[in-house]
Amino acid sequence: MARESSVLIFDEHFYSIDAIQKAAYRFIHLYAVDFAHKDSKIECILTPTQEISAEGNEHYLNEFKKEVLDQHLRIKIKNETEEVRNLILGIAFSNSGLLADE
Amino acid sequence: MSKFSEKKEYLLNNATYKLLPFKFDRLNSQKYVLTNLSGEFTVIENHELEKIVNQKLSPEDSIYSHLRSRHFIYEPADKAAIQLLALKARTKLSRLANFTNLHIFVVTLRCDHSCPYCQVSRQSEDKAAFDMTKNMADRGLDLVFRSPSPALKIEFQGGEPLLNFELVKYIVLEAKKRNEKLNRDLAFVIATTLSLLTDEILEFCKVHNIFLSSSLDGTEELHNINRPRAGKNSHQRFVEGLSKARLALGFDSVSALMTTTEQSLPQVKSIIDEYLRLGFTGIFLRPLSPYGFAIKTKKYRAYNTERWLDFYKEGLAYIIELNKSGIRFTEQYTSLILTKMLTSNDPGFVDLMNPAGIGIAAVVINYDGGVYASDESRMLAEMGDDSFRIGHIEYNTYEEIMLSDKLLDALENSFTLSVPMCSDCAFEPYCGAEPVYHHAVYGDAVARKPESEFCKRNMAIFKHLIELMHSDAEAKQIFLGWANRC
Repeated sequence: MARESSVLIFDEHFYSIDAIQKAAYRFIHLYAVDFAHKDSKIECILTPTQEISAEGNEHYLNEFKKEVLDQHLRIKIKNETEEVRNLILGIAFSNSGLLADE
Repeated sequence: MSKFSEKKEYLLNNATYKLLPFKFDRLNSQKYVLTNLSGEFTVIENHELEKIVNQKLSPEDSIYSHLRSRHFIYEPADKAAIQLLALKARTKLSRLANFTNLHIFVVTLRCDHSCPYCQVSRQSEDKAAFDMTKNMADRGLDLVFRSPSPALKIEFQGGEPLLNFELVKYIVLEAKKRNEKLNRDLAFVIATTLSLLTDEILEFCKVHNIFLSSSLDGTEELHNINRPRAGKNSHQRFVEGLSKARLALGFDSVSALMTTTEQSLPQVKSIIDEYLRLGFTGIFLRPLSPYGFAIKTKKYRAYNTERWLDFYKEGLAYIIELNKSGIRFTEQYTSLILTKMLTSNDPGFVDLMNPAGIGIAAVVINYDGGVYASDESRMLAEMGDDSFRIGHIEYNTYEEIMLSDKLLDALENSFTLSVPMCSDCAFEPYCGAEPVYHHAVYGDAVARKPESEFCKRNMAIFKHLIELMHSDAEAKQIFLGWANRC
């Protein structure tokens, strides 16, 4: 059991800081996360908030990497569907009596 | 030679499909669950996600038509897709426009029971200290009829409301009198232990079509441990009251709620069997709430979320088996969630609403005239925290109450579509903001969701239900029946 920090490095050509921060938030109950930016690399320094076994730590670090990829895809979907999302919500609330200028 | 061209030939100019807004989360190590803007879901294999997002899916792929028909993707020529998705999203949110439906009148805090998990009741003979007055009731009704909702439900709570039945009668008669001109769809419920029912009370309930909502924690032994009263006969009084009430008001005019205590955990099947024995067609497996005496008597911390989830899953498995053997019986919390998952309707359950249901779906008029944003809010106030006391019926106008900063700030801050983690959670369409719970437990109406027991409990339930539907076709059929009850 230990509370030693681990470092994960992500290339900003592939992952945005936004995706990495969102992933870090989902692990807030397990790790305190510090960020550093060197060249085109984003470093995540993950310090367990409580004692954790080496196997447990490795498992969660792998999950963290998967989560960064998930967040990257979420942002991609969000960006690509922004226009249609606004259109759908606009249609949904048109003539509902809820908008000020109706 | 085939009479028809390949599917991809039907894509206009061989254009690729486009994405509609959707969210996803891991269901387990092999699968993702995707939910669209109206809460429809689908389960895919891990490797399919990148393919979908990067528009590499072919019309020949088996999931293509499914994703298209469920509004996760659309083709450039699909003119109706966006309109249909908008219609579904609008239907989901249509309840919001009606505003407050449920108005809870706490007519007394006095009670003949002394349940260790109860949030508010008082063992007191002092009527003046803990009973609502007629004047307060009149001002409360002013508030009720200011709501624009076409349907108004007035629920009497306590303590034991039957200890102040004269005021219950007064409110019912006065509300009906006012409603002669206003023509709302008016309904009444009394939340009662049934232990003090009399023929006179039942006659009044029959004449005025009043529904009774009661509590049953399980077998006689468990119920009497959980719900002590003088005479140690709470269960016996419940059963006698239930029988009389059903005879007088009709079999379905009485419902029951159970609360899970530490003693309940090993006996979920016997609790369900007791509900069946007494003729109920469903049960609400409800965890303890972190308010009032449950905190003071350390009942709330007696078990953790994981242990409650084991209890819930064991109970649900048993109920599914009952249904498979031909006995119709529902788990009501599951049924509420399934309605959100499998239909375009929102059942309007306050704990699972976004924006939160506080104030805008339910409001509480306390015995002392204080107005609270929800039942939990007044329980919190009994612990000395009046963060969700949004006004007083004698001193504040309807506008001051409903536009109070306390209410609007809580609604705005907890709005799940702008809360970290909730905003991109695939289960957000099924979940709720619950600012009062998070404030009570974490001191913050939003809280950090990875640390939230509310989030952990509900995420586990959502995933469990989706996995059940994915792995057991018969269970899915049963769930469809629960979600589409008349």
